[in-house]
Amino acid sequence: MSLSIGMVFFIGAIGLVTIGIAGIVLSNHMFRMVLALAITEAGANMLLILAGYRWDAVAPIVTGMPSTQSMVDPVPQAMVLTAIVIGVGVQALALTLVIRIKQRYGTLDMREARRMMQQELDAQAGVKPSASDERPVGERPLPPPVGVNAGVAHD
Amino acid sequence: MTDITLAVALPLLGAFLLPLLKEPALRWLGRLLGPVLLALTAVIIAFNWTALETPYVVALGNFAPPLGIAFYIDTMALLFALAVPITTLLLWPGINDEQAVRRESLTLLLVASLVGLALSGDLFNMYVFYELAAVASYGLAAGSGSSAGFVAAFRYLLISALGSVVALLGIGLIYFTTGTLNLAHLASLSDQLANPQGLAAFAMLVIGFGVKAELFPVNGWVPDLYAAASKRVSALLAGLASKLAVLVIVRVLLLVFPYEETRQLLLILGILGVISGELAALQARDVTRMLAWSSIGQLGVVFIAFSLPGEAGVVAGIVVALHHLVVKSALFLLADKWGGAIAALRGAGVRSKLAAGLFVLFALSLLGFPPLPGFWSKFLVLSGLAAAGDPLQLMAMAAVLIGTVIEGAYLLRVVVTLYSKPDSEAPPMKHSLANLASTGVFALALIGAALFVMPLWPPLSDMGKTAANTDAYIETVLADPEVKQP
Repeated sequence: MSLSIGMVFFIGAIGLVTIGIAGIVLSNHMFRMVLALAITEAGANMLLILAGYRWDAVAPIVTGMPSTQSMVDPVPQAMVLTAIVIGVGVQALALTLVIRIKQRYGTLDMREARRMMQQELDAQAGVKPSASDERPVGERPLPPPVGVNAGVAHD
Repeated sequence: MTDITLAVALPLLGAFLLPLLKEPALRWLGRLLGPVLLALTAVIIAFNWTALETPYVVALGNFAPPLGIAFYIDTMALLFALAVPITTLLLWPGINDEQAVRRESLTLLLVASLVGLALSGDLFNMYVFYELAAVASYGLAAGSGSSAGFVAAFRYLLISALGSVVALLGIGLIYFTTGTLNLAHLASLSDQLANPQGLAAFAMLVIGFGVKAELFPVNGWVPDLYAAASKRVSALLAGLASKLAVLVIVRVLLLVFPYEETRQLLLILGILGVISGELAALQARDVTRMLAWSSIGQLGVVFIAFSLPGEAGVVAGIVVALHHLVVKSALFLLADKWGGAIAALRGAGVRSKLAAGLFVLFALSLLGFPPLPGFWSKFLVLSGLAAAGDPLQLMAMAAVLIGTVIEGAYLLRVVVTLYSKPDSEAPPMKHSLANLASTGVFALALIGAALFVMPLWPPLSDMGKTAANTDAYIETVLADPEVKQP
């Protein structure tokens, strides 16, 4: 089985994007979500670089090169530089927010933090929470079946 | 003619100057700087508009397109660019506390990037301005300082950053296929993108830029963020930032992907947005989240409007978008004091009559009560859909109408609560004068648009014609021998 080196890089880049998106979607740990975001960005940047890369070419520096020498496309590289800088800023901001959330809510679990956020927003607005995560609104519709210890069961 | 690039440069300059003016001795200058710069920006854009005869191109850095980055100036771009400083001026955070400098500086950064987004004629330039706007809005959203605000801002940041990555992938895919990022050049090569690969790239761009535009699948951040952030920030994001994101999607749709499939994609996402947004708004029991969800629904209508083919779609889309900008910003301003539970508003209308009257005016316009502009916006969308007449379009008609009925249910519920008998112990909810003055300006704009429907129509339809004319766009950008240099 012969896989060209370019193909390996492409598969690697798409793999990084997939891993990153899966990480953001599946993880509940805020720090891991930020890391997954970084991985996704790395994959996207790699894919962009690959889009303009030529295997037999030199770096896109114009001076002092024989005119027949083919060069790598510089546009994706400029784009990726921009994207990296933006990514650094966004990740720094995300980590700052994570630190603040940890300070205020004392948790890094996304579900926990969202639950507390909903409570705070409901309290701010002065409305009762519409439904809890654990059980439906209102009373139990039917009395517990005879012989079941109701106190232990679901709370 | 004053240089249009100043409209981007001036707010950007202000954003970086403001933190230097933090010293108490210079603070008065800092407080003045923001509004003055915004007014100046608005004047520059307005001057350019009056001097504009035909669309033209500004080549930045003296490189002619498609090589260099270009600004494309036409009436649609100028209209949205002009809306940015004016709306921001009305929503300017005037509170003087220790956070003020940071908030004002971020707002100016947002203005600069949104104006840039409106004028930009290059896909990657759009991406950069979009990211700039995103970073500014993360900061503004987290600036409320409440714990809930941090969580909401973090979720917004994650969704939006992921969207940016997806958009970047889409841009990469387009560059991979065509080898250019200039919109006009792309438009001339758009045959190469009429395939599954091109459609995938368009879907990626729509999902990516759609995060800010509150498009259906990527709008999970909306209600929490608007509930947690200050109402002026919510108004800025819901009213203004979303419109500019829509403009980006529309430019790409009109120029690069003028195909049946891409329109249908936008239409379907719009329908889902309308239905889901309005139903969720009906469920909400506090004013802020109700407005946030209904904003998702109305942006669904905007997308439905822009999915109509040709000139009619552009005109309908612009009208719906501008109407939503005015009304939703004003309603969020009113929610500054009336942000709590709907039930707690009992009798507030009896206490502050003017504010309640304005609320009723905006609610009626949002519903589409005949003489008000909301009626014309919905009429344009519905007649356009009826003219197209495909099953999907008829479904969209039904969605818009059902959405309006649901809108009526929750808006009129608030109005009824406002005018019901007041609870004796409830505190009077007074609006500050500045708040009501800004809201009043929005109301005047609304009434003015209602009175001058006929004079407004020819320029609007002209605007739609120019924006939908792909050939002229290509001609202007690529074949112009004397590209205007900055």
